[in-house]
Amino acid sequence: MFRIRFHGRGGQGIKTASRILGTAFFMAGYEVQDAPRYGAERRGAPLFAYVRADKSPVNERGIISQPDLVVVADDTLVGMPAAGVMQGVDQHTVLLINSQEKAETWSQRLNTPATIIILTATETVGEDAEASDDAREAAIDRAELPYIGSSCAAAAAALTNVISRDVFVDALTEELKPLGENIVKKNMDIALAAFAAMSQHVGIVSESSLPSAKEYIKPEWIKLPFEEAKISAPAIHAGVTSVKVRTGLWRTMRPVIDYERCSGCWWICSTYCPDGAINVTDEGLPDIDYDHCKGCLICVAQCPPQAIESIAEHVAKHREMSAASTTGGVHDT
Amino acid sequence: MTRRLLTGNSAAAWGARLAQVDYVPAFPITPQTEIIEDLSLWIDRGEMDARMVTLESEHSMITAAGSAASSGVRVFTATSSQGLLYGMEMVYTVAGWRAPFVMINVSRGLSSPITLESDHNDIMAARDSGFLQIHCATCQEITDSVLMSYRLAEHKEIRLPAIVNQDGFYLSFTREPVSLPDADRAAAFVGEFDPENLQFKSGAPLSQAMAVLGGGPYSYFRYQAHLAVERALSVYDEIADEFADTFGRRYDMIDSYMMDDAEYVLVMMGSFATKARDAVDSLRQAGWKVGLARIRLFRPLPQQKIRQLLSGRRAVAVIDQNISMGMGGILHSEIAMALYGINDAPGLLASYIGGLGGRDIRQQEFFEMISELKQASDTGDRLQPRLLYTKNELTEIRNLQAIAQAEHVEIKQAERKKK
Amino acid sequence: MIKESVVQIHRMKDMPSSHLLGTGTPMCAGCGGLEALHNMYDILGEKTVFVNAAGCLTLLSVYPFTPFRGGWLYTAMASAPAGAQGVRDALDIRLQKKKLSEEDNMEVVVVTGDGSAYGMGLSATSGAMDRNLDFIYLCYDNEGYGNTGQQYSAATPHAAVTSTSRGSHGYPGFKKDLFSIWAAHDPVYVATIIGAEPLDLAKKIEKLKTMRGPRMLISLAPCPTGWDYDPKLSVEIGRLAVQTGVWPLKEYINGEVIHTKIPKKDKSGKRIPVEEYLKLQGRFKHLFHPQRDDKGIAEIQASIDAYWDKVTA
Repeated sequence: MFRIRFHGRGGQGIKTASRILGTAFFMAGYEVQDAPRYGAERRGAPLFAYVRADKSPVNERGIISQPDLVVVADDTLVGMPAAGVMQGVDQHTVLLINSQEKAETWSQRLNTPATIIILTATETVGEDAEASDDAREAAIDRAELPYIGSSCAAAAAALTNVISRDVFVDALTEELKPLGENIVKKNMDIALAAFAAMSQHVGIVSESSLPSAKEYIKPEWIKLPFEEAKISAPAIHAGVTSVKVRTGLWRTMRPVIDYERCSGCWWICSTYCPDGAINVTDEGLPDIDYDHCKGCLICVAQCPPQAIESIAEHVAKHREMSAASTTGGVHDT
Repeated sequence: MTRRLLTGNSAAAWGARLAQVDYVPAFPITPQTEIIEDLSLWIDRGEMDARMVTLESEHSMITAAGSAASSGVRVFTATSSQGLLYGMEMVYTVAGWRAPFVMINVSRGLSSPITLESDHNDIMAARDSGFLQIHCATCQEITDSVLMSYRLAEHKEIRLPAIVNQDGFYLSFTREPVSLPDADRAAAFVGEFDPENLQFKSGAPLSQAMAVLGGGPYSYFRYQAHLAVERALSVYDEIADEFADTFGRRYDMIDSYMMDDAEYVLVMMGSFATKARDAVDSLRQAGWKVGLARIRLFRPLPQQKIRQLLSGRRAVAVIDQNISMGMGGILHSEIAMALYGINDAPGLLASYIGGLGGRDIRQQEFFEMISELKQASDTGDRLQPRLLYTKNELTEIRNLQAIAQAEHVEIKQAERKKK
Repeated sequence: MIKESVVQIHRMKDMPSSHLLGTGTPMCAGCGGLEALHNMYDILGEKTVFVNAAGCLTLLSVYPFTPFRGGWLYTAMASAPAGAQGVRDALDIRLQKKKLSEEDNMEVVVVTGDGSAYGMGLSATSGAMDRNLDFIYLCYDNEGYGNTGQQYSAATPHAAVTSTSRGSHGYPGFKKDLFSIWAAHDPVYVATIIGAEPLDLAKKIEKLKTMRGPRMLISLAPCPTGWDYDPKLSVEIGRLAVQTGVWPLKEYINGEVIHTKIPKKDKSGKRIPVEEYLKLQGRFKHLFHPQRDDKGIAEIQASIDAYWDKVTA
């Protein structure tokens, strides 16, 4: 059985990716099970989807904990524990990352025995490490690149070596047809490029079989200890614990205040931020809380002197990392 | 017959479409919404000749379902957990009306705490109501069960509403291959809805669901409904045979897998049972004589078949994805009841409770259950009911509790007041 | 009884500079409901118990995370006002028995979406008003059952596309007039608000803080996910809702309906046309593509004109 897991953000077409791949396997004669897995899908928020494919009916269910292939549509998710990219990844797994960085860089960074393959599916404008600041400023909001999903599905299909190009074309057409010819064409061109880009790696993904009942790691079952209601009732006896959830991780576009232009009318941006993620300093200046800012950009739209610009988050992060390495300082990301 | 990938929700919607239902009272609830969205789109496009009305709550929705069915039209509706329970007064009532229709329940754990994920406590709450109850393990089974359920529900000896249950997320949002029966053959199988004497019409006085005085009359009506549910035991096999002949797929009341020489048996309901199939395969490879009995028809409870299948086994583990507070696993208690007093009862009838709120049951847990069954059978020890829970899960909740029980309120930084 | 001179917020500069509602909640980026709630919470403060019915904002509190500093109780979709009744009565009993000091008293605030408020929660709301329950009710109205994927509700406006009204003309029904239904109960206060007009919102909250009895609020909650637009437009869309006259800002107080903002007219006596509001939202796209539906747009404009003609008559 092929066990494949996709990781991405809301808005990147991850559910579509799993369906394109699922349909491709199905058209290639496999029994298939595919599903997205999300709480409530939020734009920019990490989510995953999975595909199982086998010649016999698929009986396994639930999230894939021992993936043969993990496909990461947005490389900013790899280092985010909450996204769960590395769950169950071992020496058998192939890790396909959509990134401008090299496989060797990722290998070192992740210290994993998994095989790492790079796909370069996102817009190259602004992604290029050598590009000027201006070019990078034009970088696109990753939550507005739904065709990343198609590319990831194409790359995954190629790697399995059991889905032909023709079958993939049929599958993508089938899944995206309801969105119109233009969308199909745009996705198809980009996806087929990704399919072709994987030609040197075809067959690198191999199936895995059922866990053995002869030798298995026993579940560490315990008897749940009884606890009084004052502890065991479903209640939270603390205030504002939500601040521990870093919703800043959803952000694909970062608002940045240009304090030269800022006129200090914090009552505009700070009031309009739905999440209350703009604080006011003692000096009466707005200060964006990047741990929690979701990047809705309402502040950008509402700022009277237009003193807030938006930069693609992955570009902003890259700048921070470069600045950190040159100054030797540590930046909070 | 076309075979395609469909989610459980789409499979359910197709079942309604192929059954040529007339009326769909609706109300949205996660994880069922895709069903009503599909139906609404087909109706809007003219692909399906039915009327859909969104009611303001499930209590109203189920009332409308029953009243429409009592007025001579074929009805389909769908709900889940909180919605099913909100309408519970009417669940009992419409069954008491002897109004036949089919309702999909997409199983989801019950509040509180509120969850969106699957378990069987919601559907279990309807078990005493008079609704027939069928539990599906695959998306294919959902479409097929909707068709079969109209035959059951509308059968003259039954004439009761039926619930077809599918697990939320694991089936509802998961695509699997489904062979959709050809529309004409499906329509022929289900047939036309004959409301008999159950329709309002000028010139035909009809007072339904009136009050009653006295335990005698009340008992008559209630006993009859119970007998009608039981009737499904004899009617079911005929319908299942006909379905198998027409469409090539066979659905027994209890789906047995590798049961012929099984010493150890797992008993389950719903989609997780397919996971247990894999576990049975792995265990067989490791030399165990294991089998799986999946209860598909839950109401009426196929007691005789349960006795036939489980008698003579060394040990049986019943896995409940539900919990009756203060008692334990509901399926376990019903199986125990069915087996009581028979010759050759299984040596051991163990109870495992898991899967609550979508909690996974891993292959290793199935393996360990069989291992425990063997050990207990060898030593003659009783096995206490087990609430499936691991050391890691306890650590996880402790970490969460540390946040929830924090002594001090954490005020976020940079909280300053401007003068 | 209404205290004189309670309003301290006269200009945007007077808005609170620190925010009490915690960040880190899983509401969509740009959520108009959260926009209204966080502004309200800043003024109402932590001596509040929020009683919630099923809807998007139910997810504000997912174990072990909560953005609240005071109380929160999730009930069920139909019964939040009944939950509020129980909490208020209990607080009053404890006050009476001296088990709770006035210092530690709390304001009870029901918060529900339009699904509950306009639909199955109407019975419980009616009952609470009938009993003259001393509470605040905030309905964040995103004009559909948002949390389940934006199916139409009784609050859905005519022609809006929702996941259960995907036909070429959108939702055939019309938005229920909840304001009038609530006002017919003659509670001490009813008002419409919107996060995009924070000053108007703040003044209303300050005012109702000093009242006792049922104080009922409906906030239009622009919804990027359900209405299909880029999150950064939430405030602009909210403002246009007011300026085009789609969302009247008004109060019911002392038996009268008073509009707190009358949409401005240009020299030729016209308000901003409603299509300026409609065209920004994907749910109304069919009115403009593949061709303009002049008739559909005119119908919507006419109903808004009819409303304001009556108001300004």
